[in-house]
Amino acid sequence: MSEKAYISVEDVAMWYPYHGSDSSSHKKKGEKGKDWIKAVDGVSLSIEEGEILGVIGESGCGKSTLGKILTRLEKPTRGDCLIGGVSTKEMLKKNPKEFRSTVQIVFQNPFDTFTPRDTIEKILLRPLKNYKIGNNDDERRNMCMEALEAGGLRPAEDIMSRYPHELSGGQLQRISIIRSMFLKPKFIIADEPVSMLDVSVRADIINMLLDLSRNENTSVMFISHDIALTRYISDNIAVMYLGRIVEYGKADDVIKNPRHPYTQALISNCASIDPDEKVESIAIEGEPPTPLNPGPGCYFAPRCQYACEECKKKYPEKVTDENGHWFTCIRKEQ
Amino acid sequence: MEEILKLKDVNVTYSNKKKQVYAVRNATFSIYKGDSVGIVGESGSGKSTLAMALLRLHNEKSVRIEGTAEFEGKNLLALTQEEMNAIRWSGISVVFQKAMNALSPVHRISTQVEDIYHVHEPKAGKEEIEKRMVNLLKLVNLPERVYHLYPHEMSGGMLQRVAIAISLLHNPKLVIFDEATTALDVVTQGQILEEVVQMEKEMDMTRIMITHDMSVVAASCNKVAVMYAGEFMEIGYVKDIFKNPMHPYTQGLLASFPSLKGENAKLSAIPGFLPDLSKECDGCIFAPRCPKATKECRQRKPKQTETKDGRMVKCILYEGGMSNE
Amino acid sequence: MDKKYSVKRLWKTITGDGQLLAGIIGILLLLLLIVLAPVLATENPYHFGEDVLVGLGEKGHILGTNHMGQDIYSMVIYGVRTSLQVAVISALISGVLGVLVGGVAGFFGGKVDAVVSEIINVFMMLPSFFLILLVIALFGNSLYNVMIVIGITTWPSNAKLMRAQALSLRERTFVKSATAMGETKTQILFKYIIPNGIFPVIANTTMGMSNAILTEAGLSFLGLGDPGIISWGQMIYTGKQYITTAWWISVFAGIAIVITVLVFYLLGDGLNHVLNPKHVNGRE
Repeated sequence: MSEKAYISVEDVAMWYPYHGSDSSSHKKKGEKGKDWIKAVDGVSLSIEEGEILGVIGESGCGKSTLGKILTRLEKPTRGDCLIGGVSTKEMLKKNPKEFRSTVQIVFQNPFDTFTPRDTIEKILLRPLKNYKIGNNDDERRNMCMEALEAGGLRPAEDIMSRYPHELSGGQLQRISIIRSMFLKPKFIIADEPVSMLDVSVRADIINMLLDLSRNENTSVMFISHDIALTRYISDNIAVMYLGRIVEYGKADDVIKNPRHPYTQALISNCASIDPDEKVESIAIEGEPPTPLNPGPGCYFAPRCQYACEECKKKYPEKVTDENGHWFTCIRKEQ
Repeated sequence: MEEILKLKDVNVTYSNKKKQVYAVRNATFSIYKGDSVGIVGESGSGKSTLAMALLRLHNEKSVRIEGTAEFEGKNLLALTQEEMNAIRWSGISVVFQKAMNALSPVHRISTQVEDIYHVHEPKAGKEEIEKRMVNLLKLVNLPERVYHLYPHEMSGGMLQRVAIAISLLHNPKLVIFDEATTALDVVTQGQILEEVVQMEKEMDMTRIMITHDMSVVAASCNKVAVMYAGEFMEIGYVKDIFKNPMHPYTQGLLASFPSLKGENAKLSAIPGFLPDLSKECDGCIFAPRCPKATKECRQRKPKQTETKDGRMVKCILYEGGMSNE
Repeated sequence: MDKKYSVKRLWKTITGDGQLLAGIIGILLLLLLIVLAPVLATENPYHFGEDVLVGLGEKGHILGTNHMGQDIYSMVIYGVRTSLQVAVISALISGVLGVLVGGVAGFFGGKVDAVVSEIINVFMMLPSFFLILLVIALFGNSLYNVMIVIGITTWPSNAKLMRAQALSLRERTFVKSATAMGETKTQILFKYIIPNGIFPVIANTTMGMSNAILTEAGLSFLGLGDPGIISWGQMIYTGKQYITTAWWISVFAGIAIVITVLVFYLLGDGLNHVLNPKHVNGRE
């Protein structure tokens, strides 16, 4: 990438030391090398202003950990994320409040996102007071009411007086997004924001995120295991496997013309609501292993139908085509 | 075609001292031999309640079940638990969402399989059972050695496959999958669905697939029954309903799913919420959320109407029109 | 938990749990005794009367008098004040200390937790009655010293409870979301961790109150109580020399202790049932 993107995730990694009871780790006791679980292993990405980047992968691929690192709910082993050229690592050190208002997160479980002891009014007023948005409580209350109405939560007065357990998941998730938007974030990470919601209300949340990126020019990272939904909402899609991005490109490009064997298998196994869209699914052996000391070759090689000797020696280089669609596989022509 | 299961006016009501929840109301439909029927609905639609009622797995003190469900000439809902036990596994078997919860963690698969096998064939020998189970394991692409493992030695996908294999031990006429693939990853789910469809072709079995995911139904069923708030809204062939949904709820539900590779049409949500199922409702249960609802919809219950392509729709919009066509 | 429903729900929970109901009625009766003591008592219990060691019902003394001529019935009634005072204040000290220390340890985790947990363990190992004796020997036997020492020696169990709560609460989404909303650690501790995790501590503290009453009585029985105050323990202590001749001095105070301890125990155990998260909310 020649010029710097607006948001640039640079070589982020999250390694956990492994204290397993495997016989292999016993052997290594005398050796210097420690065993590592590499949940996220060197992820670099760029996101433009107002862009929605979808991150897909199976459970355990590190996509949620990536989200937590970017919001600094967990401290990464290495790496940084620059927003508008500013290092978020530095920002968090100097002014944590500024960092928090720059990067926001929408959680998977809306039923647990708010403290059960407070009313929605109290919950919404807290960040406003904390960040001294609005001059007095009346003004802040009005802001909340307006935001709720605009988010389709009517009557706002009634919603404000309720406790979280009295609202539905869809309503709570909308409130969660509204609350995040009070801080005017530049980057929102949505970690499986609809996976716990009923199908018929999912679209509300998805469309809300789409509006945000369009109207407020907020960049969004949409983390999900639902491939069709990710394709619908995203401009670009990154596919993760065992802590690394194996393929990245325009959403339609990745879904319709997957280049990495893992992406191909993933998409071929994804059921579609269109019964005519059935394709021959590509079987892959077993399930994703724990990212315990993967490599040195391609992480997917042990399960890949095309794997050859060379795959097991060295992690493949990135191959980029003219549209910026890249993947990491030595089989360039596929 | 031979009817294998015939439901008529099945009502399931949860009741305690304070209130009654009408979880399933007037469920009437038939499942034919060789069908694979997907029952789809959101949470609270009563789809799992219905399955539990058919299997008589409810705590019968707090649940009232009415109506008839005829299976091989017997009304499942009127049997005693002993009579029901004779049907479980050999007549109807079930696969639940979390196989790890269904399998005992301290026993090998082999022990558990033997126990289940002995329920109906107490004299069967170990070798016979192992041979049968290994054959079934092959159908779900599992190696023979799995038979001697403990549940914790297997991954979630393997366990779910084992659970499916066990459910087929006694050659059941009907297998119910209750969200059996929901907790699995995309790839594993896709592969299991494919195996199940393949298996069916070889084994002459009838399947009910209970799920909230329309795409699972599209991938693995030939018929679909859409449930909302305890009632069947539309029942018919997958190819008809997914192409041309008639009931406004089905239309709304399908519009909430994006297509994988097709056109990126705008997603729309169904406004409003699930109604309070502890209250009786005079009109159509979906009317408060329905974009096409009229005054009549709120006043009287729609009738089940059969359309030309053999589907059932419960909506006032189609009641008169069909006879004129 | 809406205000509109809270009264109704509170009433339902109370009437739904027999133990809690009994405990609450008991507490209300005890409070009534405190307020109405001057009315109910037939005499000033501090008054040394002429009638020494008078038996039951004699000379207008319902429960007789002691060797100093004090009216036992009035003393028992005024003794409620001391016992409740000891119970409430020592429980408050123990509760506040436990919640703060346990909350900090559980929420911050890591090294803070390791150090604080060790401190809690050390305090748990201390023989508390011995410590109380030591403090009284050093600082004198006023009622306040007794209350403070009871509070200081009983907080570790509360701290352990609160720590466990904080450990699980900090993994909850709403705590993470508060962090993401830019709230500081202190704000999160006081706004999210403590309010959501305090209920087991409340139940435990209430049960602890009965222990505090017993401890105070025990100290008084050993002659280490505050002599300037009427307490049941002291009554038993002074009565023990006359136990063969004037059994009523000790016995009625003893009955009073048993009843009060029982009331607090019922209350604590009832709260424990009702505030148990599994009982309150079946969602998860």
